[in-house]
Amino acid sequence: MMFFFLFSVSGNASTPEFKKKKNSECLLRLRHEGLLNSCPAGVASCPASSCPFRSPRSPRLKLLESALLLGPRPTAGGMEFSELIRTGRAQAELLRGPGAPPLRGTLCVTGHHLLLSPGPQATSDLWLLLLRSVDSIEKRVAGDSGTITLRCKDLRVLQLDIEGVEATLDIARSIEALSSLESVITSFPFFYRPKGLRLGDAWHFHPPEHHYKRVARETNAWRLSEVNEDFSVCPSYPRAVIVPRAVDDDALARSARFRQGGRFPVLSYHHAPSGTVLLRSSQPLTGPQKRRCAEDEELLRAVLAGARPGARGFIVDTRSAQAAKQARMTGGGTEAKAAYPGWKRLHRPMERGRPLQESFVRLVEACGDLEQSMDRWLSRLEGCRWLAHVKEALSTACLAAQGMEREGACILVHGAEGTDSTLLVTSLAQLILDPLSRTMTGFQELVEREWIQAGHPFQLRCAHSAFSHARPKHEAPTFLLFLDCVWQLGRQFPLSLEFGEGLLLALFEHAYASPFGTFLCNSEKERCLCEVRTRTHSLWSGLNQPKEQRKLRNPLYVLNPLAIWPSVEPQSLRLWQGLFLRWTRPPEPSEAAWEKVWQIVTDKEKTEGSQPTVSASEPQP
Amino acid sequence: MPLKPSSCLEDVPFVMRGPEFPVWLLHQLLSIIHTPWRMSLLRGLLGMELIGISVRPFLDFQERLALLGTFFILIDKEVIYICPFNGPIKGRVYITNYRLYLRSLETDSALILDVPLGVISRIEKMGGATSRGENSYGLDITCKDMRNLRFALKQEGHSRRDMFEILTRHAFPLAHSLPIFAFLNEEKFNVDGWLVYNPVEEYRRQGLPNHHWRITFINKCYELCDTYPSLLVVPYRASDEDLRRVATFRSRNRIPVLSWIHPENKTVIVRCSQPLVGMSGKRNKDDEKYLDVIRETNRQISKLTIYDARPNVNAVANKATGGGYESDDAYHNAELFFLDIHNIHVMRESLKKVKDIVYPNVEESHWLSSLESTHWLEHIKLVLTGAIQVADKVSSGKSSVLVHCSDGWDRTAQLTSLAMLMLDSFYRSIEGFEILVQKEWISFGHKFASRIGHGDKNHADADRSPIFLQFIDCVWQMSKQFPTAFEFNEQFLITILDHLYSCRFGTFLYNCESARERQKVTERTVSLWSLINSNKDKFKNPFYTKEINRVLYPVASMRHLELWVNYYIRWNPRIKQQQPNPVEQRYLELLALRDEYIKRLEELQLANSAKLSDPSTSPSSPSQMMPHVQTHF
Repeated sequence: MMFFFLFSVSGNASTPEFKKKKNSECLLRLRHEGLLNSCPAGVASCPASSCPFRSPRSPRLKLLESALLLGPRPTAGGMEFSELIRTGRAQAELLRGPGAPPLRGTLCVTGHHLLLSPGPQATSDLWLLLLRSVDSIEKRVAGDSGTITLRCKDLRVLQLDIEGVEATLDIARSIEALSSLESVITSFPFFYRPKGLRLGDAWHFHPPEHHYKRVARETNAWRLSEVNEDFSVCPSYPRAVIVPRAVDDDALARSARFRQGGRFPVLSYHHAPSGTVLLRSSQPLTGPQKRRCAEDEELLRAVLAGARPGARGFIVDTRSAQAAKQARMTGGGTEAKAAYPGWKRLHRPMERGRPLQESFVRLVEACGDLEQSMDRWLSRLEGCRWLAHVKEALSTACLAAQGMEREGACILVHGAEGTDSTLLVTSLAQLILDPLSRTMTGFQELVEREWIQAGHPFQLRCAHSAFSHARPKHEAPTFLLFLDCVWQLGRQFPLSLEFGEGLLLALFEHAYASPFGTFLCNSEKERCLCEVRTRTHSLWSGLNQPKEQRKLRNPLYVLNPLAIWPSVEPQSLRLWQGLFLRWTRPPEPSEAAWEKVWQIVTDKEKTEGSQPTVSASEPQP
Repeated sequence: MPLKPSSCLEDVPFVMRGPEFPVWLLHQLLSIIHTPWRMSLLRGLLGMELIGISVRPFLDFQERLALLGTFFILIDKEVIYICPFNGPIKGRVYITNYRLYLRSLETDSALILDVPLGVISRIEKMGGATSRGENSYGLDITCKDMRNLRFALKQEGHSRRDMFEILTRHAFPLAHSLPIFAFLNEEKFNVDGWLVYNPVEEYRRQGLPNHHWRITFINKCYELCDTYPSLLVVPYRASDEDLRRVATFRSRNRIPVLSWIHPENKTVIVRCSQPLVGMSGKRNKDDEKYLDVIRETNRQISKLTIYDARPNVNAVANKATGGGYESDDAYHNAELFFLDIHNIHVMRESLKKVKDIVYPNVEESHWLSSLESTHWLEHIKLVLTGAIQVADKVSSGKSSVLVHCSDGWDRTAQLTSLAMLMLDSFYRSIEGFEILVQKEWISFGHKFASRIGHGDKNHADADRSPIFLQFIDCVWQMSKQFPTAFEFNEQFLITILDHLYSCRFGTFLYNCESARERQKVTERTVSLWSLINSNKDKFKNPFYTKEINRVLYPVASMRHLELWVNYYIRWNPRIKQQQPNPVEQRYLELLALRDEYIKRLEELQLANSAKLSDPSTSPSSPSQMMPHVQTHF
């Protein structure tokens, strides 16, 4: 009955028989897409009892926090989406850019999706767009029709030509309202129930204990501390972190008070071949009085003591020396030489926040500007400074990795908050050094551990992509910069990464808008409050389905046990065409190449497999 | 004059001397070493006359053949090589009449340089006997392949004189009335590259002659046009007398002749030189009629499309020297477009600027804008864009195309060959590409000798220009955009460019076919294609998918073009891909996998078809199987 409503507005035929047929077709398609139980919110007749919004909240969720997370009208329940939908449907033509044929059909807005259902004679499938992935919307009306241009967070630009001025305006308003909803638990991942996946799997992917098990096999100088079990010591850390065995939980708590946001130094990676470690934290709160903290100093001393006698350490500060000094005026600062014997500070300034976002916006603008006269492209590309950021990130990561591998030193990385450029450096350094992190599961674990659990505020950073007209507040493409750096590594070492461009593109898309819950919220604490892990599906279980593998894996992969040192010369770094020019270039050749490689690699097995059947059917002489 | 016989073409002289080297150990070594290594070891040892006869029984027939091409070490002395990347290196230089080697005396006697003398464009003395400063006295060598070499020698006793003289003599043999090395080279290969291109066969492959096009021998002894091949394809309706009259109106008698014909719609690509219009705006009825005859060969109603590769202003300026372009008034049934590609001088200066920013040190701070200011990629873009237009016109079947520039041997060759590469998948195979180069470049008189300056000491010659390099760069850009469309890999293209300069093969010598015939190049030299075709696996792209009738349209936007770093910046160790060997290794593995798969597939099909045809004869089954094979490979 719910679905009847949904599609009765979209049917373009008048006879009831046809309507019936069409509805069942659509239902089938939806079911196939795993969206069946995902649309009730868009339906006015949604029975109150079945609506997930009415279900009793978890008692663990405090009232204030729940109000915060649920957005403007937590009690309105299932009604809120339908109020935002001005009109159900319209006839429209969709232009998807070069390479894809235009699509005609009935357009329909639901709570989370924009649907285009082609006419009955059309062979193509239902076309779906997650509203959350719309970054900006532009409407234009002329005569009795209108045009909506949707710029998506994955950098796609779609054009919808809609019949009827009123319909155009209504649809535009609906999309605008629905795509900018801020509440987490009314978002699509909480309704997405794809076939073949089990809810709750997400808990089993890469918990901190897994990583600790690996570290514990290599050294016993470290322990897993649950000092942050209730997220009270550090709201942006996971429940369990790896710390020096010699430091107890009380000292950790005190060190946390000396670090911004409570992010005390924790282990990020243990490099077994050299017995050194990579740590990350936030800046110490030395302030103008140059305060010190005995427990924090003890913690770093214990790190060196645990590594090996006489080990040295480097603190890689991702700000310039001057910026670090200036931070003292606002209560931050950096480690004083005298307070941390054995540790040497290195400053490697990296751009973050606003300038990074602006660089991203400029680059996307340049890539999408097809009028661009050809003789200015390269200097414009240079002017975007995106590749300069890639170079900075990779060379800082190389510095950290070199310190561990060649100098045998322990490395602590931090900037100010320790949730952006810090993670960029630590995760890239691991990719360079650790062959395990270059495997499919290893890389997923790395993203989960060094980005998601380490408290990169995805919701804030990825609220808008490059097209949004809204003034950026907390947006920054740090994670995209990481993916770009990984892509550069993959380009320079085509055999050494087990995953391919496909995985990086998927991570980019899902970080900005996803039917999966993996990238929701800003920290483990928020994820816990929203019950993300039990009520949404994990991207990892989505990606690790066998049907996805061919797109994501690198068929050329062979295990490379060595460190991979990338060249960071400007000539060695390229624009990631697969991402930035993805929608303006014909995709076939590169996809064909990928397919071809797979064919070569897998066909051998296939022919071997098929041989016995043939010979069995052959008459015996 | 010759000091010591040596035999090193592919390999390096071994620095093992003295009688203390035990022969038994050598025999042991020879028995366990893998063939290619064994070969290099043997050559090295033989070259040093170390053991002479005692090795020879171990050689098989092929190895003996390969060793026949012996030549001589002319110089063997200590120098300091001033490496722009790693600083001065003490080394020992060996110069043969083919190449220069430098072996380090410091670090495990690694080979540092290996430069065929043909790539040298200029040798200069730097410093004098009295100049001060460390390493200030020596030689400065400029190469044609984007690098410079500096050697420092001892200031006492004119130590550089013999090196300078020998280098000058053998790098510029023409100035010393010596033969170019290709004529001395006695290498033997198991295939003969000169047999790759046979014009009659190639035209037959295109379905020629047919009702509208005939093969003419009017230029058999190069009497019609001395820079054209002896065999030409012209419209059936044009008599030899017509051709002679048209020739008088075309620069250097380069009349419009067929380059390629579309197998289905029968539109053609025709190449020629500019018409001799001149200041007075001369006309030639025969030329006008001839172009109309070309247009009518496929019963085309629309106009013939003429692509003039030059910028409009250059074409106008050419009138002053008697040239010009086809005007609307004279050629009613033709439409003229200018493609804005600049001349050889602009290209030469552009490449010079590229060299300035990549060698020895790469401009780092403003890499992209300095790359932009060289305009190299912009020129690549214009050439590709022009070729795309030609290909599109022909494949859409709208019109036959006539391409010319001024003389029709530089830009015209680029445009026709690139368009043919886009249109005809045959040219994307290794042999097909060799045929394309042989046909459109070598036989149609691209002036390789003048553009490259083989064995010529005049480094500032205004005739030199990297036109062929630019063409290869365009091919590389295409292969980047269509990773599965070409049978050859990057190494193939780099090898062609290396031997464009090396003078080891006769392939690129001389300006035109008539000169080559006079010098008996095919009899007296070895072809580059012999080297390549005898070891094809090294040059194969494992991802190649053979596709018939697929037209490739590369994206010729600046966004999608990139500098060919692996060629232009290959001497810089910091740019080098760090693990080329595993990649090549993996590619070879994939090639082997693919071959195995094809073989298996064929076996299965054979078994299958045998089975099918046995009980109930179905003759259609093998042909049904064939498309299946082709869709995969």
